[in-house]
Amino acid sequence: MQRIQVSLKVNGKKYRLETPPNRTLLEVLREDLGLTGAKDGCSSGECGACTVLLDGRAVNSCLVLIGSADGHSIETVEGLQKAGMPHPLQKAFVEKGAVQCGFCTPGMLMAAKALLDQNPKPDEEQIRTALAGNLCRCTGYTKIIDAVQEAAKELRYE
Amino acid sequence: MSENTLIGKPEIRVDAWSKVTGQAEYIADFPLEDVHFGYVLRSPHPHASIRRIDIAKALQIEGVLDVITIEDVPGEKIVGDIIPDRPVLAQEKVRLVGEPVAIVVATSKYVAEQGGKAVKVDYQPLIPVFDPVQALEEGAPLVHASGNLVSHIEVQDGDPKAGFQEADLILEETFYVPHIYPGYLEPEAAQAQWNPDGSLIVWVSSQKPFHDRHLICQVLGLPEEKVIVRVATVGGAFGGKEDSSLAILAALAAWKTKTTVRLVNTREESLLAHPKRHSGQLHYKAGFKKDGTLVTMQVTSYLDTGAYASYGPAVGQLHSEVVTGPYKVPNVRVDTYVVYTNSPIAGAMRGFGAPQANFAAESLMDIAAGKLGIHPVDLRRKNIWRPGDRSYTRVRINQAESLQLSLEIAEKEYRRLKEIPASPGKVSGVGLSLSVQTMGLGFRVPDDSAHALEWLPDGRVRLYLGAPELGQGLMTVAAQITADALGLSLDKIEIALLDTSQVPDGGVSCASRMTYSVGNATIMASRQLIQGLIEEAAKLLDVEPAALYYEKGHVVRKDRPDLAPIPVSEITSRLAENGQILKRQAVFSFPYGPETPDHLPIGMPHVLFCFGAHVIRVEVDPELGTIEPKEIVAIHDVGKIINRSTLEGQVEGAISMGLGYALMEEMKLKPDGKWVDNLTEYLLPTIMDMPPIIKTVFLEVPEESGPHGAKGIGEMGLTPVASAVANAVYDAIGVRVKAIPIRPEAIIKSK
Ligand code: FES
Ligand code: FES
Repeated sequence: MQRIQVSLKVNGKKYRLETPPNRTLLEVLREDLGLTGAKDGCSSGECGACTVLLDGRAVNSCLVLIGSADGHSIETVEGLQKAGMPHPLQKAFVEKGAVQCGFCTPGMLMAAKALLDQNPKPDEEQIRTALAGNLCRCTGYTKIIDAVQEAAKELRYE
Repeated sequence: MSENTLIGKPEIRVDAWSKVTGQAEYIADFPLEDVHFGYVLRSPHPHASIRRIDIAKALQIEGVLDVITIEDVPGEKIVGDIIPDRPVLAQEKVRLVGEPVAIVVATSKYVAEQGGKAVKVDYQPLIPVFDPVQALEEGAPLVHASGNLVSHIEVQDGDPKAGFQEADLILEETFYVPHIYPGYLEPEAAQAQWNPDGSLIVWVSSQKPFHDRHLICQVLGLPEEKVIVRVATVGGAFGGKEDSSLAILAALAAWKTKTTVRLVNTREESLLAHPKRHSGQLHYKAGFKKDGTLVTMQVTSYLDTGAYASYGPAVGQLHSEVVTGPYKVPNVRVDTYVVYTNSPIAGAMRGFGAPQANFAAESLMDIAAGKLGIHPVDLRRKNIWRPGDRSYTRVRINQAESLQLSLEIAEKEYRRLKEIPASPGKVSGVGLSLSVQTMGLGFRVPDDSAHALEWLPDGRVRLYLGAPELGQGLMTVAAQITADALGLSLDKIEIALLDTSQVPDGGVSCASRMTYSVGNATIMASRQLIQGLIEEAAKLLDVEPAALYYEKGHVVRKDRPDLAPIPVSEITSRLAENGQILKRQAVFSFPYGPETPDHLPIGMPHVLFCFGAHVIRVEVDPELGTIEPKEIVAIHDVGKIINRSTLEGQVEGAISMGLGYALMEEMKLKPDGKWVDNLTEYLLPTIMDMPPIIKTVFLEVPEESGPHGAKGIGEMGLTPVASAVANAVYDAIGVRVKAIPIRPEAIIKSK
């Protein structure tokens, strides 16, 4: 199969790679870049486990063909920690008990980050709307909502 | 109590940081070097005979290593969890859509899939049967040559016929419950590595690594020392990962190709081919006296176990034990039929037969209350088990008082929620139900849980946990109980990888029994470890053991109070220098006390119960038929809270699953003859479906055999949800729904 050249900026680091064009961003992140934080829960945009940020916007990376990510900037769960310091969302998820099996967690964190980056003071409804595409079978979501609220507070230095 | 400092604390999960950083490794995250990929070719037919499987074309594809069929299985070709009825790969016929027929092993998942497409299977379709009642009729298509009845559980106590003569009100109702999907976010996965010495290492995402090992050995004809099973991070399980199919297939593929093979299911494969909760039809006939006294009950349940039995017979038994609810009924007749059909396999799933029973029994109580003109709370109060009572299976009821306590709290909450006005255009309703869930595997079923502790040279303690963490928080609770028993801080406990060659057999992570069994075993092991420490320290110090005692990570000399306490690390590091290890293993065996009578109307009854009550307020839109849960109060007796945060997490998660059961989820056969096979058609509750308020209330009525008095909680939070929702819908608009999931159409139609 013919291959295409793609440049990506992932968690601030530049990559150039060659790949068959029929692969998804999720596959490239997981298989070529070894960033296995984003998970494959359905390969078809139904679960949100693969959520990453593309130019700051939360996307299901299983639906993004690699060609359309060319030249864009991607953030994954591996990039949340800065200088060894956890992101307030990570801290809040840990402290509020928002993690159980953890399979939804990377996607949840990234969807929540996209929200807080744009809206530092979301109300509960806005949190729910932002996370509506991310399934979690374990937690019942209650503690996830708590955690996002807590992180928002911390980000606002309250 | 100072020695109890860790018990009850909402300690942070020991695995939380690895999960929020993306470092936790699930099988699909393992490195790709030297790994081959398997593609499982699955049946498109619910029922067909196989005339021929042609693998020649597939084998010619570059990159395809091998194509494996049932012919390649060297050992047992047919295995099972309870009944050996399930071919490892299809043999002569297929009995469900998604049944594995062949495995193609290739250098990439893409090539493996190409190979799969090149395998030609010549099927002769047969007439399928999907309804458990029809499957028992004369002339029904035979799913298995032995007949479609897997088991008939038949129990009688008292004289039901005479009971009906005594009754003032006789009710007859039929309830319908659907097949549902455990829906863990991580689809099933397994990776097996063949070693040149003929041994295998099999990584699983499983609730039962030791059973997996047993079945793999059966299938491959290998002795147990040749197979090591290791558990990766498990992305949720809920009973559904008590299925060894994928682990067996990966092991077979690795063994045959002498390589490393990874199998990761797609969501479609997960939905079609792995065990579900049993659907069924439950016929109730119950007799009450005018004053509300329940005098007799006759229940006939048909449970659809699908194409293979899986845990069906055990589910049928547990179902039968709780089918009358937590009530004293002097005359009972129960017949439970577990039936083969061509539906997806049904097996273990959170609640294990109890949620089906609860939906019916607790709906029935409200129906009866309405007919008798008695408040639903009062009708329950009249009939609940009291201390000293025995169930109709003649088992003494533990902590029966917690039923009464739960009911009292539920009543207050019920009255509070009744006062809340509905939103404009909506009608508000409040429903209540009681819950009974059993703990453990059942009388006479071997139910041991072994775990070990090692005191390391640096003074830390390694916990060899013999049963898997599934996401529920087992590692944290086990570490907390261990740290507490040893008087150490939580960070002094590390948990070993679950490798069947390194850890003792802790049993299956299931049946609301982990906190209880693991907690008890680790407390026992801690005591033995301290005793071992004192003995070794005495030898090193050349004193009598009686001259020493242990306190909080130190050995203290009674005979020399002037000397500073000795840190354990000084002793364990000296032992290490001598090549000695300080390690103790303890087995906790589920107690089936002397008061459990020998002659029981049911073969292997559970002997410990957990109780609770749920109260739910919903708002119904009478025009659209939509039902919106607004507030849920979940009251549960847990004996003792070990970790409040993980405990709440268990209940909140169970509630969301219960709401899915009540309102949305169903493995449905579509008009085109295909099952729903994706998450657009099979709806799991999202964050939008959760009520604004979930309140958890925990009672702590100690179970004397439990660690610190603790009992189980894994399943009980789900069991009463559907009935409470149905009762709330009735309260709101007077429509009695007897089938779940409750769809808007059902509300509108019956208006
Ligand atoms: S894997 Fe992308 S949405 Fe499920
Ligand atoms: S924590 Fe398991 S799916 Fe969310």
